[in-house]
Amino acid sequence: MSTAPAHEIGLAVHGLSKSFGGVHAVVDASVDFHHGRINALIGPNGSGKTTFFNCVTGMIRADAGTVTYRGQDITGKAPHRVAHAGIGRSFQVCRIFPRMTVLDNVLAGVRPTGLATLLGSGRRRSDVERARALLARVGIDHLERAEAGDISYGQQKLLELAGVLMTDPETIMLDEPAGGVNPALIDRISTLIVELNAEGRTFIVVEHNMELVMRLSDHVIVFDRGAPIAAGPPSTVQKDPAVLEAYLGV
Amino acid sequence: MRNASDTATTSASGSPTVVRVIRGVQVLAVVAAAIGVLVFPQTGPGPFIMSVGVVILSYACMATGWNFVGGFTGYISLGHAAFTGLGGYLVGLLILRADVPSWIALVLAAVIVAVLSIPIGFASLRVRGASFVIMSLALVLIMLLIFQSWSDVTGGSNGLRVPRPFGPEVLRPEQHERFYYLHVLLLVIMLVAWWAIDRSRFGAGLKAIREDEDKAQSLGIPTFGYKLSVYVISAFFTALAGGLYALWFGFLDPIFQFSILTGSYMVLMSLLGGIRSLFGPALGAAIVGYAIEFFKAQYGDTQFHLVALGLLLGLVVLFMPEGILPSLGRLLDRLRPSATSIREESAEELANKRAVLVGDNGGAS
Amino acid sequence: MDLLVQSLILGLLLGGLYALLAAGLTLYFGVMRVVMIAHSAFLILAAYLAWWFSSSTGLDPLLSLVFTVPAFFVLGVLVQRVLIARLKPATLTMMSVLLTFAIALTIEGLLGFVFSGTQRRIQLPYSGASLEVFGARIAVVKLIAFALAAVALAVLYVVLKATRFGQSLRATIQNSEAAALVGIDTKKVAGYGFGVGLATAAVGGTALSLDATIYPSLHWHWIGPLMAIIVVGGLGSVPGAAAAAMVLGVSQSLLQIPMGTTWAQTIFYIVLFATLVFRPHGFFGGRLAQRF
Repeated sequence: MSTAPAHEIGLAVHGLSKSFGGVHAVVDASVDFHHGRINALIGPNGSGKTTFFNCVTGMIRADAGTVTYRGQDITGKAPHRVAHAGIGRSFQVCRIFPRMTVLDNVLAGVRPTGLATLLGSGRRRSDVERARALLARVGIDHLERAEAGDISYGQQKLLELAGVLMTDPETIMLDEPAGGVNPALIDRISTLIVELNAEGRTFIVVEHNMELVMRLSDHVIVFDRGAPIAAGPPSTVQKDPAVLEAYLGV
Repeated sequence: MRNASDTATTSASGSPTVVRVIRGVQVLAVVAAAIGVLVFPQTGPGPFIMSVGVVILSYACMATGWNFVGGFTGYISLGHAAFTGLGGYLVGLLILRADVPSWIALVLAAVIVAVLSIPIGFASLRVRGASFVIMSLALVLIMLLIFQSWSDVTGGSNGLRVPRPFGPEVLRPEQHERFYYLHVLLLVIMLVAWWAIDRSRFGAGLKAIREDEDKAQSLGIPTFGYKLSVYVISAFFTALAGGLYALWFGFLDPIFQFSILTGSYMVLMSLLGGIRSLFGPALGAAIVGYAIEFFKAQYGDTQFHLVALGLLLGLVVLFMPEGILPSLGRLLDRLRPSATSIREESAEELANKRAVLVGDNGGAS
Repeated sequence: MDLLVQSLILGLLLGGLYALLAAGLTLYFGVMRVVMIAHSAFLILAAYLAWWFSSSTGLDPLLSLVFTVPAFFVLGVLVQRVLIARLKPATLTMMSVLLTFAIALTIEGLLGFVFSGTQRRIQLPYSGASLEVFGARIAVVKLIAFALAAVALAVLYVVLKATRFGQSLRATIQNSEAAALVGIDTKKVAGYGFGVGLATAAVGGTALSLDATIYPSLHWHWIGPLMAIIVVGGLGSVPGAAAAAMVLGVSQSLLQIPMGTTWAQTIFYIVLFATLVFRPHGFFGGRLAQRF
């Protein structure tokens, strides 16, 4: 379990709203995420968690609201600018580059520092070493030359995480990291999250596996109908009547 | 032939001797092809066959130019004839109306096309997939309209005669030979540029866009800037190819310069050869270009070549969307003993890991 | 003034035909995310069949609809089932454009091969007749063509809104996964969607043949404007496409007065570029353009 204390606010979302046609996916949602925590975003299906993710990371333009990260306004910024600000993310249905090798998948996260590196080799020795170390860390370094589309789904999830880590993000947003993978791999992933958190990385995790959420996170935000209805330590949230109502659907 | 793109890395696996043999065969094939292309004019093929050679090389240049966008980003443009046509017309107009020397006009025209392609790319690269293809088609159609209607400047449907860069003392066979080697030179420049991008960080980003654009962006790749840059590069080279063709052929007609067929030839050639391979488009150009010229010589200018082109494109899209070279590469991959066992190996290793992990957890909790 | 009224009416009549054809394109895109480049080639094919029917039997070309509409419906189902369904889902949108482009080339080539490249025109007893509408003279054949398009659109509307098939079709367009979950055979529906789409091309082609000089490569003059219409209408929205068709049809017709026919056509491309630069999702409610 992480020992990170409640630091200053990193990601701050204020009054975020997004609707598709007549469907209000996110409605006036305001959440502050503190540095160093493992935050969990939970809620029933369709409660707007993924849309919230997509709005924060710039994949979708929100209708209203502001998003700031470490005091910097990133509202409506393109996804790559959000990534440059220090926020990495994974996708609900794991997304990798299927026809590239596992190693090249991780190398795709290297950010060129100037024209020389942009036009320089895509497999710079130092980058390759770092990528290999990350693959070793998630436990799939033996697959580095395989095409990413050929490895198993669980391995792809680990690969996706390694790819995100290559961008060296301070804050990592994971959309259902335990979705569709076997129990052994869930343990591997949760161990990684805890280790990475101990190194000072903040996590924001959307997850349906309650056992995992309760074990892993130190702050839980409950979404219902597009907005947070409760927040706090797992033990408190668990007993919140509003949460029970949202889940049991009274 | 060497597979410049992703497969090159995979072929690094497997036993070293087999890899070395495959590499050797690839290098040998490229060298043999290069020698064949260079020696061809010296075998005394006669002016007609020579002109066919120039046409095929011109197709190879156009297809390779197209493949800067198509191959790296996966954005299929059916409208690159707009750039060859513009390149050709600008060369002609610069020579005729501004007295610019031929070779300077060639480069200047390509630069102007590259500049023009910035706003065009800005509009069309904002959308993906089908919308992009529609935009590219619209681009040729609008160019055709403009160059047909604006006859004061372009000569309209009467066409435009482009002065030859070599004096009258250079006879036709000699003309063909010079342009043959000029096209070879242009093709080599393009191939080197493509190869350089392919192995660069820029190229890695572009290929990530081809695989999954949203994902690439979430990893911090400024996808729009990358796409636009490579689009402009592609327009520049395609315009050079169009301009060089105009200098050789000496006559421009809007219907042929801004023909949807020319654009679709580039796509067919590249797809057939393999858009992810360095030599794919050139190989495809050799095959399709030869077929086109054969059909023209055999059956004249009937509508039959349209049917043949349509059927061939349909077959390639349905049954070989990866192209010849990647298919060959896959065939070679199968010869290697270890490559086939990646899957089993990984499954086995994962099982081991699982056992270890379960053991660890049992201890921890 | 008369000229203006005349252009306005002609624009509306033309817009009606555009609307019908764009509705067909929207159907293909809706059910399968396929941009059917060959749509206008089938349009010209139907026009040729109407011409051929009329010139070889001496009967009215409208009667050819009895054969072409069912034949095109079956052809559409076959195109979807035999060809489009074969493509891998991951690259479906891009590859289907190329595949239907290949179909278009093949049709154009075959038309040239069978009927030669000569320009053809149907001669009808009422070809020269015209009516006076608000002081403008409008050719009867244009009115018939518009009526045909309007009736076909109305039938299409009723089929989509009131029948079970239409319901399944609309469900598939909105969310094919969800449609499959509630027991709709989306593959079958996609096939029929193609059939209906192609049937609109049969009607459109017959309407076109009444009034136009046809030649094999004519379809390129249609596909550009039609593509512009469905993008401006917001890919996937039938009412959006119809509205864009009317607006652009009228604009084209009005611009012909100061600019001439050729330059007036550029309006489609200018609007297309402008749409993509300023509103990539289209103007009439569709949201699909950017992703597909």
